[in-house]
Amino acid sequence: MRQLSRLFMILSALCFAMPAFAQGGGTSEASWIAITAGFSMAIASAVCGLAQGKAVAAATESLARNPAARPGIQFALILGLVLIESLALYTLAIIFLKVK
Amino acid sequence: MTDHQPSPNPPGVEHSADERFCAAALPRIRNFMLILGPVLCVAAWVTFGLRSALGFLLGCVIAYLNFQWLKSGVSGLADRVTNTGKPQSSKGIVARFLLRYVLLGVAAYAILTSFPASLRGLFAGLFLPVGAIVCEAFYELYAAFRRDGSGQD
Repeated sequence: MRQLSRLFMILSALCFAMPAFAQGGGTSEASWIAITAGFSMAIASAVCGLAQGKAVAAATESLARNPAARPGIQFALILGLVLIESLALYTLAIIFLKVK
Repeated sequence: MTDHQPSPNPPGVEHSADERFCAAALPRIRNFMLILGPVLCVAAWVTFGLRSALGFLLGCVIAYLNFQWLKSGVSGLADRVTNTGKPQSSKGIVARFLLRYVLLGVAAYAILTSFPASLRGLFAGLFLPVGAIVCEAFYELYAAFRRDGSGQD
Protein backbone atom coordinates (compact mmCIF):
# COMPACT_ATOMS: atom_id res chain seq x y z
CA MET A 1 0.00 0.00 0.00
CA ARG A 2 2.82 2.36 0.89
CA GLN A 3 4.65 1.51 -2.33
CA LEU A 4 1.47 2.10 -4.29
CA SER A 5 1.01 5.54 -2.76
CA ARG A 6 4.65 6.37 -3.56
CA LEU A 7 4.11 5.25 -7.14
CA PHE A 8 1.05 7.50 -7.43
CA MET A 9 2.99 10.42 -5.99
CA ILE A 10 5.79 9.94 -8.53
CA LEU A 11 3.29 9.62 -11.38
CA SER A 12 1.49 12.79 -10.32
CA ALA A 13 4.82 14.63 -10.11
CA LEU A 14 5.64 13.46 -13.64
CA CYS A 15 2.28 14.73 -14.87
CA PHE A 16 3.22 18.19 -13.68
CA ALA A 17 6.81 17.96 -14.92
CA MET A 18 6.04 17.32 -18.57
CA PRO A 19 3.92 20.40 -19.32
CA ALA A 20 6.22 22.54 -17.17
CA PHE A 21 9.27 21.62 -19.24
CA ALA A 22 7.34 21.90 -22.48
CA GLN A 23 6.81 25.61 -22.01
CA GLY A 24 9.46 27.69 -23.67
CA GLY A 25 9.50 31.30 -22.49
CA GLY A 26 7.70 33.01 -19.63
CA THR A 27 4.36 31.67 -18.50
CA SER A 28 1.44 33.78 -19.60
CA GLU A 29 -1.59 34.62 -17.52
CA ALA A 30 -3.76 32.18 -19.46
CA SER A 31 -1.59 29.21 -18.58
CA TRP A 32 -1.69 30.17 -14.88
CA ILE A 33 -5.48 30.30 -15.07
CA ALA A 34 -5.51 26.84 -16.64
CA ILE A 35 -3.14 25.48 -13.99
CA THR A 36 -5.12 26.90 -11.08
CA ALA A 37 -8.37 25.72 -12.68
CA GLY A 38 -6.97 22.21 -12.91
CA PHE A 39 -5.78 22.34 -9.29
CA SER A 40 -9.10 23.65 -8.00
CA MET A 41 -11.09 21.03 -9.90
CA ALA A 42 -8.75 18.31 -8.67
CA ILE A 43 -9.04 19.49 -5.06
CA ALA A 44 -12.83 19.81 -5.31
CA SER A 45 -13.19 16.36 -6.88
CA ALA A 46 -10.91 14.75 -4.33
CA VAL A 47 -12.64 16.32 -1.34
CA CYS A 48 -16.10 15.60 -2.73
CA GLY A 49 -15.09 12.00 -3.39
CA LEU A 50 -13.81 11.67 0.16
CA ALA A 51 -16.97 13.23 1.54
CA GLN A 52 -19.20 10.94 -0.51
CA GLY A 53 -17.21 7.91 0.59
CA LYS A 54 -17.49 8.98 4.22
CA ALA A 55 -21.23 9.62 3.89
CA VAL A 56 -21.87 6.25 2.27
CA ALA A 57 -19.71 4.46 4.83
CA ALA A 58 -21.52 6.11 7.74
CA ALA A 59 -24.93 5.42 6.20
CA THR A 60 -24.22 1.75 5.50
CA GLU A 61 -22.86 1.32 9.02
CA SER A 62 -25.98 2.94 10.48
CA LEU A 63 -28.21 0.80 8.27
CA ALA A 64 -26.44 -2.36 9.34
CA ARG A 65 -26.80 -1.37 13.01
CA ASN A 66 -30.41 -0.23 12.77
CA PRO A 67 -32.26 -1.47 9.67
CA ALA A 68 -35.55 -0.08 11.03
CA ALA A 69 -34.28 3.46 10.52
CA ARG A 70 -33.85 2.87 6.80
CA PRO A 71 -36.22 5.59 5.40
CA GLY A 72 -34.56 8.40 7.34
CA ILE A 73 -31.01 7.23 6.67
CA GLN A 74 -31.70 6.65 2.98
CA PHE A 75 -33.27 10.09 2.60
CA ALA A 76 -30.38 11.78 4.38
CA LEU A 77 -27.85 9.86 2.29
CA ILE A 78 -29.49 10.77 -1.03
CA LEU A 79 -29.78 14.40 0.02
CA GLY A 80 -26.15 14.46 1.17
CA LEU A 81 -24.84 12.84 -1.99
CA VAL A 82 -26.78 15.26 -4.22
CA LEU A 83 -25.52 18.28 -2.30
CA ILE A 84 -21.92 17.02 -2.29
CA GLU A 85 -22.10 16.41 -6.04
CA SER A 86 -23.49 19.87 -6.55
CA LEU A 87 -20.44 21.33 -4.79
CA ALA A 88 -18.20 19.71 -7.41
CA LEU A 89 -20.53 21.05 -10.09
CA TYR A 90 -20.27 24.56 -8.60
CA THR A 91 -16.50 24.35 -8.93
CA LEU A 92 -16.79 23.13 -12.51
CA ALA A 93 -19.19 25.94 -13.40
CA ILE A 94 -16.97 28.60 -11.80
CA ILE A 95 -13.91 27.21 -13.60
CA PHE A 96 -15.80 27.20 -16.87
CA LEU A 97 -16.89 30.80 -16.40
CA LYS A 98 -13.37 31.91 -15.46
CA VAL A 99 -11.40 29.96 -18.09
CA LYS A 100 -13.78 30.57 -20.99
CA MET B 1 -37.65 10.41 41.60
CA THR B 2 -38.51 10.74 38.00
CA ASP B 3 -41.14 13.13 36.76
CA HIS B 4 -42.22 11.75 33.44
CA GLN B 5 -44.67 13.99 31.66
CA PRO B 6 -47.04 12.01 29.46
CA SER B 7 -46.57 12.92 25.82
CA PRO B 8 -49.65 14.16 23.98
CA ASN B 9 -49.02 11.55 21.28
CA PRO B 10 -47.82 8.03 21.85
CA PRO B 11 -44.16 7.75 20.84
CA GLY B 12 -44.83 5.10 18.21
CA VAL B 13 -47.43 7.22 16.43
CA GLU B 14 -45.19 10.31 16.39
CA HIS B 15 -42.31 8.27 15.01
CA SER B 16 -44.38 6.79 12.22
CA ALA B 17 -45.69 10.24 11.22
CA ASP B 18 -42.10 11.49 10.98
CA GLU B 19 -41.15 8.44 8.95
CA ARG B 20 -44.07 8.99 6.61
CA PHE B 21 -43.05 12.63 6.18
CA CYS B 22 -39.46 11.53 5.47
CA ALA B 23 -40.56 8.87 3.00
CA ALA B 24 -42.72 11.38 1.14
CA ALA B 25 -39.85 13.87 0.85
CA LEU B 26 -38.11 12.15 -2.07
CA PRO B 27 -41.25 11.97 -4.26
CA ARG B 28 -41.87 15.62 -3.35
CA ILE B 29 -38.35 16.56 -4.49
CA ARG B 30 -38.96 14.67 -7.74
CA ASN B 31 -42.23 16.57 -8.22
CA PHE B 32 -40.49 19.88 -7.51
CA MET B 33 -37.93 18.95 -10.19
CA LEU B 34 -40.69 18.11 -12.66
CA ILE B 35 -42.38 21.47 -11.98
CA LEU B 36 -39.24 23.63 -11.79
CA GLY B 37 -37.63 22.19 -14.96
CA PRO B 38 -40.25 23.23 -17.54
CA VAL B 39 -41.00 26.54 -15.78
CA LEU B 40 -37.34 27.59 -15.69
CA CYS B 41 -36.85 26.29 -19.23
CA VAL B 42 -39.58 28.59 -20.52
CA ALA B 43 -38.07 31.44 -18.50
CA ALA B 44 -34.65 30.72 -20.05
CA TRP B 45 -36.19 30.68 -23.53
CA VAL B 46 -37.83 34.06 -22.97
CA THR B 47 -34.76 35.61 -21.34
CA PHE B 48 -31.73 34.08 -23.07
CA GLY B 49 -33.03 32.52 -26.28
CA LEU B 50 -33.67 29.09 -27.74
CA ARG B 51 -30.14 27.67 -27.58
CA SER B 52 -29.72 28.44 -23.90
CA ALA B 53 -33.17 27.00 -23.22
CA LEU B 54 -32.27 23.80 -25.07
CA GLY B 55 -29.03 23.54 -23.11
CA PHE B 56 -30.93 24.14 -19.90
CA LEU B 57 -33.49 21.46 -20.85
CA LEU B 58 -30.71 18.96 -21.56
CA GLY B 59 -29.11 19.83 -18.22
CA CYS B 60 -32.45 19.31 -16.48
CA VAL B 61 -32.92 15.92 -18.16
CA ILE B 62 -29.41 14.82 -17.16
CA ALA B 63 -29.92 16.06 -13.59
CA TYR B 64 -33.27 14.25 -13.34
CA LEU B 65 -31.82 10.97 -14.67
CA ASN B 66 -28.81 11.40 -12.40
CA PHE B 67 -31.08 11.87 -9.40
CA GLN B 68 -33.24 8.86 -10.28
CA TRP B 69 -30.21 6.62 -10.78
CA LEU B 70 -28.66 7.87 -7.56
CA LYS B 71 -31.90 7.05 -5.76
CA SER B 72 -32.08 3.56 -7.22
CA GLY B 73 -28.38 3.02 -6.51
CA VAL B 74 -28.79 4.03 -2.87
CA SER B 75 -31.90 1.87 -2.61
CA GLY B 76 -29.98 -1.11 -4.00
CA LEU B 77 -27.15 -0.44 -1.57
CA ALA B 78 -29.61 -0.29 1.34
CA ASP B 79 -31.25 -3.54 0.16
CA ARG B 80 -27.84 -5.15 0.06
CA VAL B 81 -26.88 -3.92 3.54
CA THR B 82 -30.14 -4.84 5.22
CA ASN B 83 -30.60 -8.09 3.22
CA THR B 84 -34.09 -7.09 2.13
CA GLY B 85 -35.76 -6.83 -1.26
CA LYS B 86 -34.42 -8.34 -4.43
CA PRO B 87 -30.74 -9.18 -4.04
CA GLN B 88 -28.57 -7.19 -6.46
CA SER B 89 -24.97 -7.75 -7.42
CA SER B 90 -22.46 -5.32 -5.96
CA LYS B 91 -20.93 -4.89 -9.43
CA GLY B 92 -24.29 -3.72 -10.76
CA ILE B 93 -24.65 -1.17 -7.97
CA VAL B 94 -21.14 0.21 -8.57
CA ALA B 95 -21.70 0.22 -12.35
CA ARG B 96 -24.92 2.20 -11.89
CA PHE B 97 -23.07 4.73 -9.72
CA LEU B 98 -20.31 5.13 -12.32
CA LEU B 99 -22.67 5.19 -15.31
CA ARG B 100 -24.08 8.47 -14.05
CA TYR B 101 -20.74 10.19 -14.46
CA VAL B 102 -20.30 8.65 -17.94
CA LEU B 103 -23.70 10.04 -18.97
CA LEU B 104 -22.81 13.47 -17.60
CA GLY B 105 -19.44 13.50 -19.37
CA VAL B 106 -20.82 12.31 -22.72
CA ALA B 107 -23.63 14.89 -22.69
CA ALA B 108 -21.26 17.71 -21.72
CA TYR B 109 -18.78 16.67 -24.43
CA ALA B 110 -21.52 16.39 -27.05
CA ILE B 111 -22.95 19.80 -26.27
CA LEU B 112 -19.46 21.36 -26.00
CA THR B 113 -18.51 20.16 -29.47
CA SER B 114 -21.84 20.80 -31.19
CA PHE B 115 -23.40 23.85 -29.47
CA PRO B 116 -20.81 25.65 -27.32
CA ALA B 117 -23.20 28.60 -26.84
CA SER B 118 -25.64 26.50 -24.80
CA LEU B 119 -23.09 25.11 -22.37
CA ARG B 120 -23.98 27.72 -19.75
CA GLY B 121 -27.59 26.60 -19.96
CA LEU B 122 -26.47 23.01 -19.48
CA PHE B 123 -24.54 23.93 -16.34
CA ALA B 124 -27.53 25.85 -15.01
CA GLY B 125 -29.80 22.88 -15.70
CA LEU B 126 -27.52 20.55 -13.76
CA PHE B 127 -28.42 22.46 -10.60
CA LEU B 128 -32.09 21.51 -10.87
CA PRO B 129 -31.93 19.05 -7.92
CA VAL B 130 -30.43 21.78 -5.73
CA GLY B 131 -33.35 24.05 -6.58
CA ALA B 132 -35.79 21.24 -5.84
CA ILE B 133 -34.07 20.57 -2.49
CA VAL B 134 -34.30 24.26 -1.61
CA CYS B 135 -38.05 24.15 -2.42
CA GLU B 136 -38.36 21.04 -0.25
CA ALA B 137 -36.53 22.80 2.59
CA PHE B 138 -38.96 25.71 2.41
CA TYR B 139 -41.89 23.27 2.33
CA GLU B 140 -40.55 21.43 5.40
CA LEU B 141 -40.09 24.76 7.18
CA TYR B 142 -43.68 25.65 6.35
CA ALA B 143 -44.89 22.22 7.51
CA ALA B 144 -42.93 22.56 10.76
CA PHE B 145 -44.44 26.00 11.46
CA ARG B 146 -47.90 24.63 10.70
CA ARG B 147 -47.36 21.66 13.04
CA ASP B 148 -46.10 23.97 15.78
CA GLY B 149 -49.09 26.26 15.28
CA SER B 150 -51.58 23.40 15.48
CA GLY B 151 -49.73 21.95 18.50
CA GLN B 152 -50.01 25.22 20.45
CA ASP B 153 -53.74 25.59 19.76
